Amino acid sequence: MSIVVENISKTFGQFVALRNVSLSVARGELIALLGPSGSGKTTLLRIMAGLEKPDPGSGPIRFEDEDVASRNPQVRHVGFVFQHYALFRHMTVAENVAFGLRVRPRRLRPSRSEIRQRVQKLLKLVQLDAFANRYPSQLSGGQRQRVALARALAIEPKVLLLDEPFGALDAKVRMELRQWLRRLHDEIHVTSVFVTHDQDEALELADRVVVMNQGRIEQIGTPDEVFHSPATEFVTTFLGQVNLFHGRVENGKVHFATLAWDSPEHAAMPSQPVRVFVRPHDFHVASHRNGAPAFRATVRRVHSAGPNARLELVAESGESLWVEMPLDVCRARNIVQGSPVFLTPRDVKVFAESPH
Amino acid sequence: MLIGGGVPSALTGFSASSAVTAERPVVRWALIGVAIVFLGLFLVIPLIAVFLQAFEKGIAAYFRALLDPDTQSAVRLTLLVAAVAVPLNTVFGVVAAWAITKFEFAGKNALITLIDLPFSISPVVAGLVFVFLFGRQGWLGPWLEAHGVRVIFAVPGMVLATVFVTFPFVARELIPLMKAQGTEEEEAARLLGASGWQTFWRVTLPNIKWGLLYGIVLCNGRAMGEFGAVSVVSGHVRGQTNTIPLHVEILYNEYNVAAAFAVASLLATLALATLALKSLLEWKVARQLAETDAKP
Repeated sequence: MSIVVENISKTFGQFVALRNVSLSVARGELIALLGPSGSGKTTLLRIMAGLEKPDPGSGPIRFEDEDVASRNPQVRHVGFVFQHYALFRHMTVAENVAFGLRVRPRRLRPSRSEIRQRVQKLLKLVQLDAFANRYPSQLSGGQRQRVALARALAIEPKVLLLDEPFGALDAKVRMELRQWLRRLHDEIHVTSVFVTHDQDEALELADRVVVMNQGRIEQIGTPDEVFHSPATEFVTTFLGQVNLFHGRVENGKVHFATLAWDSPEHAAMPSQPVRVFVRPHDFHVASHRNGAPAFRATVRRVHSAGPNARLELVAESGESLWVEMPLDVCRARNIVQGSPVFLTPRDVKVFAESPH
Repeated sequence: MLIGGGVPSALTGFSASSAVTAERPVVRWALIGVAIVFLGLFLVIPLIAVFLQAFEKGIAAYFRALLDPDTQSAVRLTLLVAAVAVPLNTVFGVVAAWAITKFEFAGKNALITLIDLPFSISPVVAGLVFVFLFGRQGWLGPWLEAHGVRVIFAVPGMVLATVFVTFPFVARELIPLMKAQGTEEEEAARLLGASGWQTFWRVTLPNIKWGLLYGIVLCNGRAMGEFGAVSVVSGHVRGQTNTIPLHVEILYNEYNVAAAFAVASLLATLALATLALKSLLEWKVARQLAETDAKP
């Protein structure tokens, strides 16, 4: 089922959680709402589920073609997975999963044996069929989250909403569960929206990523788009590490560090101070000037533990910056502490200096 | 072979008494002794005294006192008052705790403070308030009298006073428990299609059952033992408006000490039973809370 929300705003007292947010999710899509805490991503998810009411004057919330904005969560029929699982602590795993079926009105309720079969099937799907009679307190975090997922899927939701589903798990379990969720989504193809503050998680898992900041959507795009073509300064700095230079745009050239960088795409931009961002891996590092436009920097430290060498540098113009390069290349060029190097950016992002 | 840098030697340094409480034995025993003497003097000896006095004139006299029609009537009235007050306050306590912990609304803090009012007010004052409201010279007294309803110096007034005094027990017990448990499970239930009623019966209530029972036990103990407020509104009519505590006082004032203590022993037994139940339930509540905290 597709989801469309239009012009949703939400304030809690003085705090504005969402400002006029619109978003549409296609049927079968897996979408990530990504942003720092306080960006409104969880609020947006809870509004979709019906756990929060948008401010008066907000637009519709459509599931397929139906406006569900005035419906309470009980009848919205969404599967919801909480960060802290919210399993019913006094029920066994099987009872937890069966809950959504057992509370149905009698005429819609499957028979006992049917419920038992469905529960068994779901527990098999989340690989917990051996744990049906355990209580939540007897399970690990990853197992609990899988029970929560099976419970949400039991009502055969048309929409699956997940609030920081891996947030409470440790790194290793998180990674496994992430891949497992992706496979599961490919298998059952239910329209899914998950909230995360972890950029790796969003980029790895989602078909499209919605980057949020201060109650607004900054950019919606595929992981490739948001990472390589960030629309705003916030998206640039939030996704991965980045070096910042203060510079100027003049006549299609970006001046920063001691470099005048040809940038046809900014030819139309009026002359003004700008902020220039270059990712650490977007530099070519040479030990000698080789004709390419480059600025000079001195290596302060080399961190060589890892697949890439991370260089801590000071540009001739005074800025400190980080550069990443393959370790073998770094060694072959004999780049060590104190070496002078020449840096040629491969890709720069330029945003006007004034705040938006 | 050394893996992971070796075990810090401090970890092996634990012995039977940890360094924090390593007082000299004299000090330790002196402190424990003071506590035991104090407990014995003020709690154990009086309790034993109650039973000794009760049986002073023999078992036959003891049971004669208990089987006396006035005593029987007092017991019945006490049970009746508790049977009304405890369920009322149970329902009220659950509703109040539910509202306070699961919803945001204006005046929430005022409600929390109000719930505590009966704890901070003297029971005598509470009783007088009801006399003032429902007594012959009170606000509603004339109207009630015109309709033939008697509240003060009658059973309804005693029930009202008891309800007032035992008002906070259930709510007070549930609020912290429900606060700790949060609202996520209820939200999950709603999202799975449960109605508000189903959510309450299947999710909320099972989660708070031990805390609720604990509150009910305390509430009941107080409802049966209340003296002050009930005394003001009772009128002390033998065989009609006497509860057990009031009856004890009357017997005592008539120098019928053995009978007074015999009846008092009923209250003491109730207190002991309440205490035993309370400990059991406290343990269950602690476990319920521990399960809440076990969420990583």
